[in-house]
Amino acid sequence: MASLETEPPPARPNGKARRRGGAFIAAFVVLQFLIPLTYLARDDAADERFTWRRLTETDAPTCETEASLERLNGEREAVVLEKLIHQDWVAYVAQGRRAVVEAFLKQQCEADGVVSVALLNRCDDDRGVREFTLRCGGERAHETMKTAGR
Amino acid sequence: MKALERYWFGDVALGRPYLLLRMVLVLLAFDTWLNMMPDGAKYGVGAFNVAHFPWFDGFVPSAGFYLGVLAFTGVLALSQALYRPHRIAIVLIAMGYTLGWSCSLLDSVPYHYLLSLYLVCFVFFPMLSARAAFSRSDRVPRGSVAAYVLFCVTTAIVYFYVAAWAAARGESYWLPMACCVGYLAVSMQDRVELPAIRLLAPMLVAAPLTFHLATPQEGWLPLYMTGIALLVFSPMHWVHAFGRALTQPARGLVDETEPAQGGLDERASQVFYLSLFGLVVAPMLSMFVDLPGVKTGCSLTAIAMLVVMGRQLYFTPRWRPLWRVASLFGGCLALLVTMSASDARFDYYRQGALDADRRGDTEAAMMFREKAERYAP
Repeated sequence: MASLETEPPPARPNGKARRRGGAFIAAFVVLQFLIPLTYLARDDAADERFTWRRLTETDAPTCETEASLERLNGEREAVVLEKLIHQDWVAYVAQGRRAVVEAFLKQQCEADGVVSVALLNRCDDDRGVREFTLRCGGERAHETMKTAGR
Repeated sequence: MKALERYWFGDVALGRPYLLLRMVLVLLAFDTWLNMMPDGAKYGVGAFNVAHFPWFDGFVPSAGFYLGVLAFTGVLALSQALYRPHRIAIVLIAMGYTLGWSCSLLDSVPYHYLLSLYLVCFVFFPMLSARAAFSRSDRVPRGSVAAYVLFCVTTAIVYFYVAAWAAARGESYWLPMACCVGYLAVSMQDRVELPAIRLLAPMLVAAPLTFHLATPQEGWLPLYMTGIALLVFSPMHWVHAFGRALTQPARGLVDETEPAQGGLDERASQVFYLSLFGLVVAPMLSMFVDLPGVKTGCSLTAIAMLVVMGRQLYFTPRWRPLWRVASLFGGCLALLVTMSASDARFDYYRQGALDADRRGDTEAAMMFREKAERYAP
């Protein structure tokens, strides 16, 4: 009867299992060391994902953003971001999170008759005032630093 | 054995991985339901999304998708914590949880990445029964569990980087560094040949406890890390005694014993039909949760459980499939009770209404507001 007796502990790994386990462990540990270091090579300093830089809460900067688009007839039109996307995305755009800014500008370009889209971000930290412009059909938005912050 | 091999493959008290796995799974289930689900309404708004990884480019997760993934992950996690976990289920939980946060930058909570790393470690944990982890005698069962050591080292690496970035900013870094050293040393405390570490290691728990209780942190991170620290740093006899008390009912479960009457075939067919009935009925509880995607999520959990049980379902004369179905039932019921007793569902609809109002979407705002009023505390 297999029963209420104590079951044996898991078997001790043999040489082959140890080697395989060791290789997996080494890869997993090396990856964990390398991924946070990629932060140092990132274009976007606001992208702190997978780095453990914000494991403890730090003050988020206060940022504001204004968007406008230029039509084929040369008219400039203000865009109210809050009407288009969720407020959390607006916060990302205002902080100049590169991937979100690019995606937002590209989405605006999908509308008919839009020639270019521009964003003006103002932050109370190192980011200062920055402008992002995308000519529709272009690959990457152009970033201009207007003033440095604090 | 070389020193490095001794470090990774040395003995640990089996009660530690047993309790650690279950504790994290329970916390993860309630964390997804109480803290992540209320934020679900922002998914899919304006057909705009940016994911963590480029392979999701062009995919806009809807609120229903996000909540469905969270319901699936949470129910499966709790069901695995309630009854002996299965490796396939842990793989599915890891995939579901990682999909949940990685499909959108809207979830950029750092400890969610950490939980994904932990779940990867859990996949390689031994899937111990309560009887294997906690003997009836005072002798503590020990064994080689490299994945547990990897879990500790993963935690140590996180603290190392917290300390390193703090140092780079010119801030105090000694506390996270003490946590890092503590986790590297403490995984060796159960080895008989190291009495000095066994004596000193439990005292190092002061570092993570101080760090997580004194520094403001997001969500349930302090809860996870305090619980983990207590299980990892406590002396093995304390863990053993705690685990024995906690698992007393589980160790007495009717599982392996032979049937008192009736043949094995008859018993196997009873178990088969009862299990199938349970698998169909359990997800039905989610109909009363009234959140988009949850019904699909719970139904997928039942399918996952079917996959986990596999051949066991119709070949075994044992009660094991029934306990698995009961644990699924427990998971679905816990989701329903949690949603009914907490403000999570109300928060979901309230936030959806506020956002729809901001965007001038009156129809959606009205729908959200109606539901919010229905579930207002």
